[in-house]
Amino acid sequence: MTERNIGVGLRVLIVDDALFMRGMLKDLFIKGGHEVVGEAADGREAVEQYRRLRPDLVTMDIVMPLVSGIEALTEIRREDPEACVVMCSAMGQEALILEAVRAGARDFIVKPFSEEKVLETARRVAKRV
Amino acid sequence: MAIDMSKYRDMFLSESREHLQTMGRLLVELEKSPDDREGLDALFREAHSIKGMAASMGYRATAELGHHLEDFLSGFRAGGAIPPTAIDRVLAGVDLLEGLIDDLSAERPERDVRPFIVGSTGAAPPSAPPAPPPLADEAEAVGPGNGAVTIPVASGEEILKIVIELVSGAVAPAARALLMLRELAAQGEVLDADPNERKLLQGGAVPRLELRLKSWRAPQEIKDLLLAMSDVARVSCVVERVRPATRQSRERTVRVRTGLLDQFINLTGELVTNRYMLQAAYNEGRDQDMRDGLERLTRLITDLHHHVLQVRMMPLASITGRLPRMVRELEQQTGKEVALRIAGEEVELDRSILEALADPLMHMVRNAVDHGIEERGEVLVSASREKDLVLVEVRDNGRGLDAEAIRRKAVGAGLLSPGQALRMAERDLFPLICLPGFSTRAEVSETSGRGVGMDVVKAVTEQFGGTLQIASERGRGTSIQLRLPLSVAIIRLLLVECGGELLALPITRVLRTLELERAEIRSSGRQMVVPLGNELVPLLSLRRMLRQPAKPVAGTIPVVVSEARGRKIALVVDRLVGQREAFVKSLAFPLDRIAGVSGATILGDGRIVFIIDPQGLLDEGTASGGRSGVSP
Repeated sequence: MTERNIGVGLRVLIVDDALFMRGMLKDLFIKGGHEVVGEAADGREAVEQYRRLRPDLVTMDIVMPLVSGIEALTEIRREDPEACVVMCSAMGQEALILEAVRAGARDFIVKPFSEEKVLETARRVAKRV
Repeated sequence: MAIDMSKYRDMFLSESREHLQTMGRLLVELEKSPDDREGLDALFREAHSIKGMAASMGYRATAELGHHLEDFLSGFRAGGAIPPTAIDRVLAGVDLLEGLIDDLSAERPERDVRPFIVGSTGAAPPSAPPAPPPLADEAEAVGPGNGAVTIPVASGEEILKIVIELVSGAVAPAARALLMLRELAAQGEVLDADPNERKLLQGGAVPRLELRLKSWRAPQEIKDLLLAMSDVARVSCVVERVRPATRQSRERTVRVRTGLLDQFINLTGELVTNRYMLQAAYNEGRDQDMRDGLERLTRLITDLHHHVLQVRMMPLASITGRLPRMVRELEQQTGKEVALRIAGEEVELDRSILEALADPLMHMVRNAVDHGIEERGEVLVSASREKDLVLVEVRDNGRGLDAEAIRRKAVGAGLLSPGQALRMAERDLFPLICLPGFSTRAEVSETSGRGVGMDVVKAVTEQFGGTLQIASERGRGTSIQLRLPLSVAIIRLLLVECGGELLALPITRVLRTLELERAEIRSSGRQMVVPLGNELVPLLSLRRMLRQPAKPVAGTIPVVVSEARGRKIALVVDRLVGQREAFVKSLAFPLDRIAGVSGATILGDGRIVFIIDPQGLLDEGTASGGRSGVSP
């Protein structure tokens, strides 16, 4: 009931170095009624876009060139302690996931993603604003 | 597992009191029509409810007495009528139950009910000896029905024991468990966790997480929250123990219609939506959307406030329940015959106003019976809506107020000079009975001469921004009318400026605001007046009432028309500033001693504004001998 009332979708920033991953996540969020306000291919771009867009939710790949997802997460949280960042990772990155959670990630999803799980996580995590 | 009942205690107490009030009323009605079958059945059900509730709470003596009364009544139900002696006995039983409820409320042991039960011969119809009351098994039969839920205003914190099992193939279970701990920490206080945070940070396998959580949330809520998280296989969440009932046992409860709770949820949802819209508009610098959003927010807050006030509303019936019994007792004491009629019991007022009004209402009814009614007569207690106000009236058809006696008493007490007293019209004399210690009776009567007096009735009325009016006619009766606001806390104020100070008047006290030309002002003796309709309304200077330096009049004169002592007055101010909704706080000692000031509010810019009460200011002026009129 509450969810329907929220009505307006989330404003999402997608961070991933793989174009196809960004495309997939973008389609998935749009289909779920959300708005993808920005895309970034590395951590530095992610921080810049976050600063400018102040999205409701960030999906952040852990392993990226230049500035890693965890470094970007730390930087974003330094600017906005309320930032909602969900980490995206592959299997076998458990130590990195733990580090990200420690650094303040709100949740994490593991590839391969299920559409349902991504949207559910986004809704649950961003609800707490 | 035994259910801890202590948190239901307050609900039990308040509901039992309601049942007892209803029993009192039903008994008085049954006395007049002893063969009212439905009344008798209703009375039986009330006793039954009390028994069931007390039994499920484990209050043995209360349950036993409830059971006894139920049993006692069931004999008469068969016959279809109840004799007066039996009514007296049940009334005595109700009194005893009230005593028991008081005991429980004060956390004392229940008083002894055996002497009452054993002494139940005589009026009792043949019935089986009272069996020991069943405990707990009737718990489901009681409780509030009719689409209302009773919620504690603040429930107690509980310690929940939580066990979470993760799915077997979960990726990074330690990280998942950390997220859960963090989520739970937002819902309360995590007391101990196994594995704890330090251990989890080292990673590794975490098949299950056990912890204790001190939280206000219900176990089911916590459970749902956890089940919504990823990789959770099973959750168990049980109340380990309720924290010792210390302060929580003093919390009061209200009943809320479930429909209203739904509206709260809807409003919350809309507020959340609005927040997102505002954020979006802000992020993108869309000014028009920001303005629209703020407008919507204003509307939503008004809505929310309206609904919150509704939760606080209670019908007048909640305080009139005791009146029939009181009148019955007064009849017995005085030998008078009094018919009490109550109308408009369904009219709702704010809980705090009703609570404060309970004693004054009893006093007014007592007064009407004691001083008003002669041999026989009628007392009418009524409530009705008048726009934003509720009119509560106590009217009798008795002898009416004795203006001459009031005049004499006022002169005797030094309140008026003999000359003043002679010149004073009757209707101006009546309000004098509201002065502290004023009574036209030489001797203190047994019934009216104790407890609250008319001065308290007036003080309570005015404390809530209401007004009191007395009308009386010799030989025809007396009417006391209280006009009270529906709700408290947020009220509309008229802001005025006077001597450089910003002051406010409750809008309920303002009849109109005017700007007068000098030429419109006339004088009547030493008093300046202004003609309004076909009345000459005295013009009073707020500056003078506040003992501020006088100001030469230039241009038009801003005036607030209000009412004091049942008559219109025109208050001259420096400037009319405007209307404002404000949250009014009552003042604490010693500021509450200032006559004419009824509260204060804080404006958006942080300024404190005192709320003035014209009637209080006027009383202050008269009492200290100062003249507050505008001299020509």
